[in-house]
Amino acid sequence: MLYNVHFGIYVDVAMPVEDKSKSLLPFLSSPKLLPDESEAEFQSGLQSLLSELDNPSPLAVALVSQLNESFWWIKRHTKDKELLLHEAMARLLSKAGSYSETYDNRKVSEALERYLDGRAVKDEAEWIDEILDESKLTLSDLRVRAFKDAARHIKMVDDLIHRQHQTIRHLQRSIDSIDYKSRLIKRMDLELAALESKQSVKGALTLDDEPS
Amino acid sequence: MTMNHRRSLANRSNALKSTGPRSESGKRASSQNSRKHGLNSAPDFESSVEYQKLVDLIAKEGFSAFVCADIATGLLNYRRVMDSYYDTYTSPEPVDEFTRDMNVKGSIPIFRELLSPSGSKPQDVREMAAFFASMQRQERRKGGPVSRRCSDTHKLIRYQRNAIARLSRAVRQG
Repeated sequence: MLYNVHFGIYVDVAMPVEDKSKSLLPFLSSPKLLPDESEAEFQSGLQSLLSELDNPSPLAVALVSQLNESFWWIKRHTKDKELLLHEAMARLLSKAGSYSETYDNRKVSEALERYLDGRAVKDEAEWIDEILDESKLTLSDLRVRAFKDAARHIKMVDDLIHRQHQTIRHLQRSIDSIDYKSRLIKRMDLELAALESKQSVKGALTLDDEPS
Repeated sequence: MTMNHRRSLANRSNALKSTGPRSESGKRASSQNSRKHGLNSAPDFESSVEYQKLVDLIAKEGFSAFVCADIATGLLNYRRVMDSYYDTYTSPEPVDEFTRDMNVKGSIPIFRELLSPSGSKPQDVREMAAFFASMQRQERRKGGPVSRRCSDTHKLIRYQRNAIARLSRAVRQG
């Protein structure tokens, strides 16, 4: 029987434990990704986390998929930090010299993005160099000033990343506790079985000892 | 009089002393509190289909009925917060590019022209320019789209913290 656990996880409860993980993989999550993000990369992260599960029970799988999402958010927010810097650099450049009246922020921002990625065409690169000359700044000066300008927002992103780290810690503890619980139940089952077998052997012996 | 009754009376009398936000801007801000993400409203997970399925699924792992209910609620609540986190992240307040990029000083002749039919004084033109300059400062302080989405999602940190703590507690108590 397949269950949909709200966030896209389907679990076959009747299946043996060792096969559960494999069966879960194809059904796992329809992740909410941004247009420029790779679903394959998201899924491969999830699969590598799932493969480390000793006991892939439905709850453990649900928690691991939350764990994977947290890792994904850290990636997103780390990228945001760089984007914030670029945004601040573009803002500073668009204010520089006489260009504040001639060029709009968006145009400078897009050109700068390509310039920093090394994708700018010759004209665009020359244009950015020209604005840098006009504002009497080097690229590293601009970066330092942009960092100062965007410090408040960069601190916010650091808080967001820190929150994801805390979430991961919580999830790891939860997964550990489930794992420990299942191991404890297994151990108790074995002990109980051993006791029962001992008891039955004893019972058989006492029966043998009774005179007929 | 029971302890609970006394406490509830004390809470009510204390609540009467509370005045809430006093300034106009504070009242305006707090009036929108629950409208942005809806995370302050009490959710009703128990009547959803997902909840029952989740409880059945967790029960098969050997948890007690009480713990199963707690874990299912915790999990659904965490998902609700993270879905809202994603929605907030992907739809930040749009940048008003006109206000942000306008040249206020350069627009003073236009303001003068606009106000001239009503027989305005130079003081009126200066006030209009100051108004636009203050709007521009506000707009620039908010930053670009990346800054906006970061500061919007930053407001959801406390919801995320509470949701994950609740989920983790529910799982570990089982």
